[in-house]
Amino acid sequence: MGTPTPFGSATELSASEIARYSRHLLIPEVATEGQKRLKAAKVLVIGAGGLGSPLGLYLAAAGVGQLGIVDFDVVEFSNLQRQVLHTTPDVGRRKTESAAAHLRAINPEIQITTYDTRISSANAMELIRPYDIVIDGTDNFPTRYLVNDACVLLGKSNIYGSIYRFEGQVSVFAPPAGPCYRCLFAEPPPPGMVPSCAEGGVLGILPGVIGCMQATEAVKLILGIGEPLIGRLLLYDALEMKFREVRIQRDPQCPLCGEQPTLRELIDYEQFCGVRGQEAPGAPFESDFEISVEEVKARMDRGDDFDILDVRNPEEWQICRLGSAKLVPLGELQERMRELDPAREWVVHCRSGARSAKAVELLRQAGFVNVKNVRGGISEWASKIDPSMPKY
Amino acid sequence: MIRVALPVHLRTLARVSGDVTLDIDGPVTQRSVLDALEARYPMLRGTIRDHVTHKRRAFIRFFACEQDLSNESPDAPLPDAVAKGAEPYLIVGAMAGG
Repeated sequence: MGTPTPFGSATELSASEIARYSRHLLIPEVATEGQKRLKAAKVLVIGAGGLGSPLGLYLAAAGVGQLGIVDFDVVEFSNLQRQVLHTTPDVGRRKTESAAAHLRAINPEIQITTYDTRISSANAMELIRPYDIVIDGTDNFPTRYLVNDACVLLGKSNIYGSIYRFEGQVSVFAPPAGPCYRCLFAEPPPPGMVPSCAEGGVLGILPGVIGCMQATEAVKLILGIGEPLIGRLLLYDALEMKFREVRIQRDPQCPLCGEQPTLRELIDYEQFCGVRGQEAPGAPFESDFEISVEEVKARMDRGDDFDILDVRNPEEWQICRLGSAKLVPLGELQERMRELDPAREWVVHCRSGARSAKAVELLRQAGFVNVKNVRGGISEWASKIDPSMPKY
Repeated sequence: MIRVALPVHLRTLARVSGDVTLDIDGPVTQRSVLDALEARYPMLRGTIRDHVTHKRRAFIRFFACEQDLSNESPDAPLPDAVAKGAEPYLIVGAMAGG
Protein backbone atom coordinates (compact mmCIF):
# COMPACT_ATOMS: atom_id res chain seq x y z
CA MET A 1 0.00 0.00 0.00
CA GLY A 2 0.98 3.59 0.12
CA THR A 3 0.36 5.45 -3.14
CA PRO A 4 0.77 9.07 -2.00
CA THR A 5 -2.57 10.81 -2.22
CA PRO A 6 -2.68 13.99 -4.24
CA PHE A 7 -5.75 15.08 -2.35
CA GLY A 8 -5.85 17.40 0.62
CA SER A 9 -7.93 17.25 3.77
CA ALA A 10 -11.14 19.10 4.47
CA THR A 11 -11.98 20.90 7.66
CA GLU A 12 -12.94 18.94 10.74
CA LEU A 13 -15.77 16.42 10.63
CA SER A 14 -19.01 17.47 12.30
CA ALA A 15 -20.63 15.38 15.01
CA SER A 16 -23.20 14.09 12.54
CA GLU A 17 -20.47 13.16 10.08
CA ILE A 18 -18.55 11.31 12.79
CA ALA A 19 -21.70 9.33 13.55
CA ARG A 20 -22.38 8.68 9.87
CA TYR A 21 -18.86 7.56 8.97
CA SER A 22 -18.02 5.77 12.23
CA ARG A 23 -17.31 2.43 10.52
CA HIS A 24 -14.78 4.16 8.28
CA LEU A 25 -13.23 5.99 11.21
CA LEU A 26 -12.55 2.66 12.89
CA ILE A 27 -10.44 1.41 9.97
CA PRO A 28 -6.81 2.43 10.52
CA GLU A 29 -6.31 2.90 6.75
CA VAL A 30 -9.15 5.43 6.66
CA ALA A 31 -9.66 6.93 10.13
CA THR A 32 -10.45 10.61 10.63
CA GLU A 33 -7.72 11.85 8.31
CA GLY A 34 -8.91 9.60 5.49
CA GLN A 35 -12.53 10.58 5.96
CA LYS A 36 -11.51 14.21 5.76
CA ARG A 37 -9.74 13.42 2.46
CA LEU A 38 -12.93 11.86 1.18
CA LYS A 39 -14.82 14.96 2.25
CA ALA A 40 -12.36 17.16 0.36
CA ALA A 41 -12.43 14.98 -2.79
CA LYS A 42 -14.14 15.96 -6.02
CA VAL A 43 -15.25 13.06 -8.19
CA LEU A 44 -17.08 13.24 -11.52
CA VAL A 45 -19.24 10.26 -12.50
CA ILE A 46 -20.02 10.27 -16.21
CA GLY A 47 -23.26 8.40 -16.78
CA ALA A 48 -26.04 7.83 -14.27
CA GLY A 49 -26.93 4.41 -15.65
CA GLY A 50 -25.89 0.87 -14.83
CA LEU A 51 -22.36 1.68 -13.64
CA GLY A 52 -23.25 5.19 -12.47
CA SER A 53 -25.87 3.80 -10.08
CA PRO A 54 -23.61 1.87 -7.70
CA LEU A 55 -20.92 4.50 -8.19
CA GLY A 56 -23.20 7.28 -7.10
CA LEU A 57 -24.77 5.35 -4.25
CA TYR A 58 -21.52 4.16 -2.70
CA LEU A 59 -19.46 7.29 -3.27
CA ALA A 60 -22.23 9.42 -1.76
CA ALA A 61 -22.57 7.06 1.18
CA ALA A 62 -18.78 7.01 1.62
CA GLY A 63 -18.77 10.77 2.01
CA VAL A 64 -17.04 11.96 -1.17
CA GLY A 65 -17.50 15.67 -0.55
CA GLN A 66 -18.22 16.87 -4.06
CA LEU A 67 -19.87 14.46 -6.44
CA GLY A 68 -20.62 15.48 -10.03
CA ILE A 69 -23.06 13.48 -12.15
CA VAL A 70 -23.28 13.86 -15.93
CA ASP A 71 -26.16 12.40 -17.93
CA PHE A 72 -28.46 13.68 -20.66
CA ASP A 73 -31.07 10.94 -20.57
CA VAL A 74 -34.40 10.23 -18.89
CA VAL A 75 -35.25 7.18 -16.79
CA GLU A 76 -36.96 4.41 -18.77
CA PHE A 77 -38.62 1.21 -17.60
CA SER A 78 -35.89 -0.82 -19.28
CA ASN A 79 -33.32 0.89 -17.01
CA LEU A 80 -34.82 -0.34 -13.74
CA GLN A 81 -33.49 -3.92 -13.99
CA ARG A 82 -29.97 -2.65 -13.26
CA GLN A 83 -29.93 1.11 -12.69
CA VAL A 84 -30.71 0.89 -8.99
CA LEU A 85 -30.21 4.61 -8.48
CA HIS A 86 -33.63 5.13 -10.05
CA THR A 87 -37.03 3.81 -8.99
CA THR A 88 -40.31 3.11 -10.74
CA PRO A 89 -41.83 6.53 -9.93
CA ASP A 90 -38.76 8.11 -11.55
CA VAL A 91 -39.63 6.76 -15.02
CA GLY A 92 -39.78 9.74 -17.36
CA ARG A 93 -37.73 11.93 -15.00
CA ARG A 94 -34.32 13.36 -15.93
CA LYS A 95 -31.67 10.92 -14.71
CA THR A 96 -29.64 13.70 -13.15
CA GLU A 97 -32.69 14.91 -11.23
CA SER A 98 -33.57 11.40 -10.07
CA ALA A 99 -29.94 10.69 -9.12
CA ALA A 100 -29.53 13.90 -7.16
CA ALA A 101 -32.75 13.28 -5.21
CA HIS A 102 -31.80 9.75 -4.22
CA LEU A 103 -28.19 10.60 -3.42
CA ARG A 104 -29.21 13.55 -1.27
CA ALA A 105 -31.55 11.24 0.61
CA ILE A 106 -28.64 8.88 1.24
CA ASN A 107 -26.23 11.60 2.30
CA PRO A 108 -27.29 15.23 2.73
CA GLU A 109 -23.82 16.09 4.03
CA ILE A 110 -22.20 16.09 0.58
CA GLN A 111 -22.44 18.47 -2.35
CA ILE A 112 -23.98 16.98 -5.48
CA THR A 113 -23.68 18.83 -8.77
CA THR A 114 -25.61 17.57 -11.77
CA TYR A 115 -24.96 18.26 -15.43
CA ASP A 116 -28.01 17.48 -17.54
CA THR A 117 -26.10 17.43 -20.79
CA ARG A 118 -24.46 15.07 -23.25
CA ILE A 119 -20.71 15.19 -22.70
CA SER A 120 -19.03 16.23 -25.93
CA SER A 121 -15.79 17.60 -27.31
CA ALA A 122 -17.25 21.07 -26.78
CA ASN A 123 -17.85 20.74 -23.03
CA ALA A 124 -15.72 17.82 -21.76
CA MET A 125 -12.71 19.85 -20.67
CA GLU A 126 -14.90 22.34 -18.84
CA LEU A 127 -16.88 19.55 -17.13
CA ILE A 128 -13.87 17.53 -16.05
CA ARG A 129 -11.41 20.30 -15.11
CA PRO A 130 -12.80 21.05 -11.60
CA TYR A 131 -12.65 17.42 -10.49
CA ASP A 132 -9.85 15.28 -9.04
CA ILE A 133 -10.99 11.93 -10.41
CA VAL A 134 -13.24 10.94 -13.30
CA ILE A 135 -15.18 7.68 -13.39
CA ASP A 136 -16.28 6.39 -16.76
CA GLY A 137 -19.77 4.94 -16.55
CA THR A 138 -20.63 5.62 -20.18
CA ASP A 139 -22.14 3.15 -22.62
CA ASN A 140 -20.61 3.78 -26.02
CA PHE A 141 -17.22 3.92 -27.70
CA PRO A 142 -17.19 7.58 -28.81
CA THR A 143 -17.79 8.79 -25.26
CA ARG A 144 -15.20 6.40 -23.82
CA TYR A 145 -12.51 7.77 -26.15
CA LEU A 146 -13.67 11.31 -25.42
CA VAL A 147 -13.49 10.81 -21.64
CA ASN A 148 -10.09 9.13 -21.95
CA ASP A 149 -8.63 11.87 -24.09
CA ALA A 150 -9.98 14.69 -21.93
CA CYS A 151 -8.62 13.01 -18.78
CA VAL A 152 -5.16 12.54 -20.29
CA LEU A 153 -5.05 16.11 -21.57
CA LEU A 154 -6.09 17.41 -18.14
CA GLY A 155 -3.93 14.96 -16.15
CA LYS A 156 -6.89 13.35 -14.36
CA SER A 157 -7.16 9.72 -13.31
CA ASN A 158 -9.86 7.89 -15.27
CA ILE A 159 -11.43 4.90 -13.55
CA TYR A 160 -12.66 2.68 -16.33
CA GLY A 161 -15.34 0.01 -16.23
CA SER A 162 -17.34 -1.61 -18.99
CA ILE A 163 -19.85 -4.42 -19.18
CA TYR A 164 -21.64 -6.73 -21.61
CA ARG A 165 -23.97 -9.62 -20.81
CA PHE A 166 -22.07 -11.53 -18.07
CA GLU A 167 -18.62 -9.97 -18.41
CA GLY A 168 -16.91 -6.83 -17.28
CA GLN A 169 -13.59 -5.01 -17.40
CA VAL A 170 -12.08 -2.61 -14.87
CA SER A 171 -8.87 -0.59 -14.87
CA VAL A 172 -7.47 2.76 -13.81
CA PHE A 173 -5.96 4.85 -16.56
CA ALA A 174 -3.49 7.35 -15.15
CA PRO A 175 -0.62 8.24 -17.48
CA PRO A 176 2.29 8.51 -16.95
CA ALA A 177 1.95 5.97 -14.11
CA GLY A 178 0.27 3.53 -16.51
CA PRO A 179 -1.46 3.27 -19.87
CA CYS A 180 -4.50 5.13 -21.11
CA TYR A 181 -7.51 3.61 -22.87
CA ARG A 182 -5.94 4.27 -26.27
CA CYS A 183 -2.82 2.32 -25.24
CA LEU A 184 -5.11 -0.64 -24.58
CA PHE A 185 -7.46 -0.32 -27.53
CA ALA A 186 -5.93 1.97 -30.13
CA GLU A 187 -9.11 2.02 -32.19
CA PRO A 188 -12.76 1.16 -31.59
CA PRO A 189 -14.40 -1.79 -33.31
CA PRO A 190 -16.32 -0.97 -36.47
CA PRO A 191 -19.93 -0.03 -35.76
CA GLY A 192 -22.09 -3.12 -35.35
CA MET A 193 -19.24 -5.55 -34.67
CA VAL A 194 -19.46 -5.44 -30.87
CA PRO A 195 -23.06 -5.27 -29.69
CA SER A 196 -24.10 -2.78 -27.03
CA CYS A 197 -26.03 -3.76 -23.91
CA ALA A 198 -29.11 -2.26 -25.59
CA GLU A 199 -28.66 -4.77 -28.42
CA GLY A 200 -27.30 -7.80 -26.62
CA GLY A 201 -28.50 -7.34 -23.06
CA VAL A 202 -26.70 -7.34 -19.73
CA LEU A 203 -27.19 -9.16 -16.46
CA GLY A 204 -28.73 -6.59 -14.14
CA ILE A 205 -26.34 -7.38 -11.29
CA LEU A 206 -23.22 -7.04 -13.44
CA PRO A 207 -22.94 -3.23 -13.33
CA GLY A 208 -23.32 -3.52 -9.56
CA VAL A 209 -20.19 -5.67 -9.38
CA ILE A 210 -18.14 -3.60 -11.82
CA GLY A 211 -19.40 -0.23 -10.55
CA CYS A 212 -18.55 -1.19 -6.97
CA MET A 213 -15.01 -2.05 -8.06
CA GLN A 214 -14.70 1.32 -9.78
CA ALA A 215 -15.97 3.03 -6.61
CA THR A 216 -13.44 1.08 -4.56
CA GLU A 217 -10.63 2.26 -6.82
CA ALA A 218 -11.81 5.86 -6.47
CA VAL A 219 -11.79 5.65 -2.68
CA LYS A 220 -8.35 4.00 -2.71
CA LEU A 221 -6.95 6.75 -4.93
CA ILE A 222 -8.40 9.44 -2.67
CA LEU A 223 -7.08 7.79 0.48
CA GLY A 224 -3.76 6.81 -1.08
CA ILE A 225 -4.06 3.25 0.16
CA GLY A 226 -3.69 -0.17 -1.45
CA GLU A 227 -2.57 -0.93 -4.98
CA PRO A 228 -4.59 0.88 -7.61
CA LEU A 229 -5.50 -0.94 -10.82
CA ILE A 230 -3.06 1.20 -12.78
CA GLY A 231 -1.32 -0.93 -15.40
CA ARG A 232 -3.64 -3.83 -14.70
CA LEU A 233 -6.87 -4.86 -16.40
CA LEU A 234 -9.31 -6.88 -14.35
CA LEU A 235 -11.59 -9.19 -16.31
CA TYR A 236 -14.72 -10.53 -14.66
CA ASP A 237 -16.85 -13.43 -15.87
CA ALA A 238 -20.05 -13.78 -13.84
CA LEU A 239 -20.99 -17.13 -15.40
CA GLU A 240 -17.68 -18.70 -14.42
CA MET A 241 -17.57 -16.48 -11.29
CA LYS A 242 -13.97 -15.88 -12.18
CA PHE A 243 -11.69 -12.86 -12.06
CA ARG A 244 -8.63 -12.69 -14.27
CA GLU A 245 -5.98 -10.01 -14.03
CA VAL A 246 -3.67 -9.10 -16.87
CA ARG A 247 -0.89 -6.56 -17.06
CA ILE A 248 -1.19 -3.70 -19.51
CA GLN A 249 1.51 -1.24 -20.44
CA ARG A 250 1.81 2.20 -21.90
CA ASP A 251 2.18 2.24 -25.67
CA PRO A 252 5.18 4.39 -26.60
CA GLN A 253 3.44 4.98 -29.93
CA CYS A 254 0.18 6.13 -28.31
CA PRO A 255 -0.91 9.29 -30.12
CA LEU A 256 -2.20 10.72 -26.83
CA CYS A 257 0.17 9.72 -24.03
CA GLY A 258 3.07 8.21 -25.99
CA GLU A 259 6.56 9.53 -26.50
CA GLN A 260 5.61 11.77 -29.39
CA PRO A 261 1.94 12.60 -28.94
CA THR A 262 0.07 13.97 -31.91
CA LEU A 263 -3.33 14.35 -30.26
CA ARG A 264 -3.20 17.61 -28.37
CA GLU A 265 -6.87 18.48 -28.34
CA LEU A 266 -10.20 16.72 -28.44
CA ILE A 267 -11.44 15.47 -31.80
CA ASP A 268 -14.72 14.45 -33.41
CA TYR A 269 -15.30 11.11 -31.62
CA GLU A 270 -18.34 10.02 -33.59
CA GLN A 271 -16.32 10.34 -36.74
CA PHE A 272 -13.37 8.55 -35.10
CA CYS A 273 -15.67 5.67 -34.16
CA GLY A 274 -17.45 5.69 -37.52
CA VAL A 275 -20.89 6.17 -36.03
CA ARG A 276 -21.79 9.58 -37.39
CA GLY A 277 -25.49 9.72 -38.12
CA GLN A 278 -26.34 6.29 -36.72
CA GLU A 279 -27.83 7.45 -33.46
CA ALA A 280 -29.65 10.53 -34.61
CA PRO A 281 -33.34 9.69 -34.88
CA GLY A 282 -35.20 12.25 -36.88
CA ALA A 283 -32.18 13.36 -38.88
CA PRO A 284 -32.64 13.49 -42.64
CA PHE A 285 -32.10 10.24 -44.50
CA GLU A 286 -28.52 9.96 -45.61
CA SER A 287 -28.93 7.43 -48.37
CA ASP A 288 -31.36 5.87 -50.77
CA PHE A 289 -31.09 2.67 -48.76
CA GLU A 290 -33.25 3.73 -45.84
CA ILE A 291 -37.00 3.69 -45.36
CA SER A 292 -39.22 5.10 -42.61
CA VAL A 293 -41.62 2.98 -40.58
CA GLU A 294 -44.49 5.09 -41.95
CA GLU A 295 -43.49 4.19 -45.50
CA VAL A 296 -43.16 0.50 -44.62
CA LYS A 297 -46.65 0.56 -43.08
CA ALA A 298 -48.09 2.37 -46.10
CA ARG A 299 -46.53 -0.15 -48.47
CA MET A 300 -47.81 -3.07 -46.39
CA ASP A 301 -51.31 -1.56 -46.45
CA ARG A 302 -51.09 -1.14 -50.23
CA GLY A 303 -50.11 -4.79 -50.56
CA ASP A 304 -46.77 -4.01 -52.21
CA ASP A 305 -44.67 -7.06 -52.99
CA PHE A 306 -41.59 -7.04 -50.77
CA ASP A 307 -40.02 -9.12 -48.00
CA ILE A 308 -39.03 -8.10 -44.49
CA LEU A 309 -35.77 -9.32 -43.01
CA ASP A 310 -35.31 -9.15 -39.23
CA VAL A 311 -31.61 -9.29 -38.24
CA ARG A 312 -32.13 -9.27 -34.48
CA ASN A 313 -31.37 -12.19 -32.18
CA PRO A 314 -33.95 -14.92 -31.47
CA GLU A 315 -34.40 -13.62 -27.91
CA GLU A 316 -35.53 -10.29 -29.33
CA TRP A 317 -37.78 -12.02 -31.85
CA GLN A 318 -39.60 -13.64 -28.94
CA ILE A 319 -40.40 -10.23 -27.47
CA CYS A 320 -41.99 -8.74 -30.59
CA ARG A 321 -41.89 -9.11 -34.35
CA LEU A 322 -43.31 -7.79 -37.59
CA GLY A 323 -45.76 -10.43 -38.83
CA SER A 324 -44.20 -11.96 -41.92
CA ALA A 325 -40.57 -11.03 -41.30
CA LYS A 326 -37.85 -13.63 -41.89
CA LEU A 327 -35.42 -13.91 -38.98
CA VAL A 328 -31.71 -14.13 -39.79
CA PRO A 329 -29.54 -12.71 -36.98
CA LEU A 330 -26.84 -10.37 -38.24
CA GLY A 331 -24.10 -12.72 -37.03
CA GLU A 332 -25.50 -15.49 -39.24
CA LEU A 333 -26.24 -13.38 -42.29
CA GLN A 334 -23.07 -14.14 -44.25
CA GLU A 335 -23.44 -17.88 -44.03
CA ARG A 336 -27.23 -17.89 -44.51
CA MET A 337 -27.38 -15.39 -47.35
CA ARG A 338 -28.28 -18.17 -49.78
CA GLU A 339 -31.65 -18.41 -48.05
CA LEU A 340 -32.48 -14.95 -49.40
CA ASP A 341 -33.52 -14.24 -52.98
CA PRO A 342 -31.41 -11.34 -54.31
CA ALA A 343 -34.00 -10.66 -56.96
CA ARG A 344 -36.60 -9.76 -54.35
CA GLU A 345 -37.00 -6.39 -52.63
CA TRP A 346 -35.86 -6.60 -48.99
CA VAL A 347 -36.74 -4.25 -46.16
CA VAL A 348 -34.36 -4.93 -43.27
CA HIS A 349 -34.87 -4.05 -39.63
CA CYS A 350 -33.37 -4.61 -36.18
CA ARG A 351 -34.20 -2.97 -32.86
CA SER A 352 -33.08 0.56 -33.61
CA GLY A 353 -31.46 0.56 -37.05
CA ALA A 354 -27.72 0.09 -36.47
CA ARG A 355 -27.44 -3.66 -37.05
CA SER A 356 -29.81 -3.54 -40.00
CA ALA A 357 -27.67 -0.80 -41.56
CA LYS A 358 -24.74 -3.20 -41.37
CA ALA A 359 -26.92 -5.96 -42.84
CA VAL A 360 -27.96 -3.73 -45.73
CA GLU A 361 -24.28 -3.03 -46.40
CA LEU A 362 -23.50 -6.77 -46.43
CA LEU A 363 -26.43 -7.52 -48.71
CA ARG A 364 -25.45 -4.78 -51.14
CA GLN A 365 -21.89 -6.09 -51.21
CA ALA A 366 -23.35 -9.50 -52.03
CA GLY A 367 -25.24 -8.12 -54.98
CA PHE A 368 -28.68 -7.39 -53.53
CA VAL A 369 -29.86 -4.29 -55.34
CA ASN A 370 -33.28 -3.56 -53.91
CA VAL A 371 -32.63 -3.47 -50.17
CA LYS A 372 -33.52 -0.84 -47.57
CA ASN A 373 -32.86 -0.29 -43.87
CA VAL A 374 -35.83 0.55 -41.65
CA ARG A 375 -34.81 3.77 -39.93
CA GLY A 376 -35.25 3.46 -36.16
CA GLY A 377 -36.06 -0.24 -36.39
CA ILE A 378 -38.83 -2.03 -34.57
CA SER A 379 -38.54 0.47 -31.68
CA GLU A 380 -39.67 3.20 -34.05
CA TRP A 381 -42.45 0.92 -35.31
CA ALA A 382 -43.65 0.42 -31.73
CA SER A 383 -43.53 4.19 -31.10
CA LYS A 384 -45.19 5.40 -34.27
CA ILE A 385 -47.18 2.57 -35.81
CA ASP A 386 -48.19 0.04 -33.17
CA PRO A 387 -48.15 1.37 -29.58
CA SER A 388 -49.43 -2.01 -28.35
CA MET A 389 -46.11 -3.60 -29.35
CA PRO A 390 -43.77 -4.11 -26.36
CA LYS A 391 -40.65 -1.95 -26.35
CA TYR A 392 -37.40 -3.20 -24.94
CA MET B 1 -4.69 -29.22 -26.08
CA ILE B 2 -4.82 -25.42 -26.08
CA ARG B 3 -7.56 -23.49 -24.31
CA VAL B 4 -8.64 -20.23 -25.90
CA ALA B 5 -10.91 -17.74 -24.12
CA LEU B 6 -12.88 -15.59 -26.54
CA PRO B 7 -14.70 -12.33 -25.88
CA VAL B 8 -18.41 -12.90 -25.43
CA HIS B 9 -19.48 -11.40 -28.76
CA LEU B 10 -17.10 -13.74 -30.60
CA ARG B 11 -18.36 -16.73 -28.61
CA THR B 12 -21.83 -15.78 -29.81
CA LEU B 13 -20.58 -15.50 -33.38
CA ALA B 14 -18.81 -18.86 -33.18
CA ARG B 15 -21.77 -20.37 -31.29
CA VAL B 16 -19.64 -21.72 -28.48
CA SER B 17 -19.87 -21.40 -24.72
CA GLY B 18 -16.89 -21.32 -22.43
CA ASP B 19 -13.30 -21.75 -23.57
CA VAL B 20 -12.55 -23.24 -26.99
CA THR B 21 -10.12 -26.16 -27.02
CA LEU B 22 -7.78 -26.73 -29.95
CA ASP B 23 -5.20 -29.34 -30.86
CA ILE B 24 -2.12 -27.85 -32.48
CA ASP B 25 0.40 -29.86 -34.47
CA GLY B 26 3.86 -28.35 -34.27
CA PRO B 27 5.02 -25.26 -32.40
CA VAL B 28 2.41 -23.54 -30.24
CA THR B 29 2.58 -19.89 -31.23
CA GLN B 30 0.04 -17.12 -31.43
CA ARG B 31 -0.06 -17.59 -35.19
CA SER B 32 -0.62 -21.36 -35.01
CA VAL B 33 -3.32 -20.95 -32.37
CA LEU B 34 -5.16 -18.24 -34.30
CA ASP B 35 -4.82 -20.17 -37.57
CA ALA B 36 -6.33 -23.25 -35.91
CA LEU B 37 -9.07 -21.17 -34.31
CA GLU B 38 -10.05 -19.58 -37.62
CA ALA B 39 -9.90 -22.93 -39.40
CA ARG B 40 -12.31 -24.43 -36.85
CA TYR B 41 -14.53 -21.33 -36.77
CA PRO B 42 -14.31 -19.60 -40.17
CA MET B 43 -16.86 -17.01 -39.07
CA LEU B 44 -14.15 -15.55 -36.80
CA ARG B 45 -11.94 -14.63 -39.75
CA GLY B 46 -11.52 -10.88 -39.85
CA THR B 47 -12.84 -10.34 -36.34
CA ILE B 48 -9.56 -10.95 -34.47
CA ARG B 49 -6.98 -10.42 -37.18
CA ASP B 50 -7.25 -8.38 -40.32
CA HIS B 51 -8.52 -10.45 -43.25
CA VAL B 52 -5.62 -9.51 -45.48
CA THR B 53 -2.60 -8.63 -43.31
CA HIS B 54 -3.41 -11.09 -40.49
CA LYS B 55 -2.35 -8.42 -38.02
CA ARG B 56 -4.17 -8.09 -34.70
CA ARG B 57 -7.10 -5.72 -34.95
CA ALA B 58 -6.69 -2.59 -32.84
CA PHE B 59 -9.68 -3.33 -30.58
CA ILE B 60 -8.44 -6.81 -29.65
CA ARG B 61 -5.59 -7.82 -27.34
CA PHE B 62 -3.90 -11.13 -26.57
CA PHE B 63 -2.83 -12.27 -23.11
CA ALA B 64 -1.46 -15.39 -21.47
CA CYS B 65 -0.24 -16.02 -17.93
CA GLU B 66 -1.20 -12.44 -17.03
CA GLN B 67 1.17 -11.03 -19.66
CA ASP B 68 0.22 -8.90 -22.64
CA LEU B 69 1.37 -10.69 -25.81
CA SER B 70 -0.40 -8.33 -28.19
CA ASN B 71 2.77 -6.85 -29.61
CA GLU B 72 4.91 -9.98 -29.40
CA SER B 73 6.00 -11.80 -32.53
CA PRO B 74 3.19 -14.07 -33.75
CA ASP B 75 5.76 -16.80 -34.24
CA ALA B 76 7.22 -16.68 -30.73
CA PRO B 77 6.39 -19.77 -28.68
CA LEU B 78 3.58 -19.37 -26.18
CA PRO B 79 4.30 -20.13 -22.50
CA ASP B 80 4.45 -23.82 -21.57
CA ALA B 81 1.40 -23.39 -19.35
CA VAL B 82 -0.62 -22.39 -22.41
CA ALA B 83 0.90 -25.08 -24.63
CA LYS B 84 -0.04 -27.70 -22.02
CA GLY B 85 -3.55 -26.34 -21.54
CA ALA B 86 -3.01 -25.35 -17.91
CA GLU B 87 -3.58 -21.68 -18.68
CA PRO B 88 -5.83 -20.22 -21.41
CA TYR B 89 -4.78 -18.01 -24.25
CA LEU B 90 -6.93 -14.92 -23.69
CA ILE B 91 -8.40 -12.95 -26.55
CA VAL B 92 -9.82 -9.78 -25.02
CA GLY B 93 -11.98 -7.36 -26.94
CA ALA B 94 -13.07 -3.79 -26.32
CA MET B 95 -16.55 -3.48 -24.85
CA ALA B 96 -18.39 -0.27 -24.16
CA GLY B 97 -21.48 -1.16 -22.14
CA GLY B 98 -22.20 0.75 -18.98
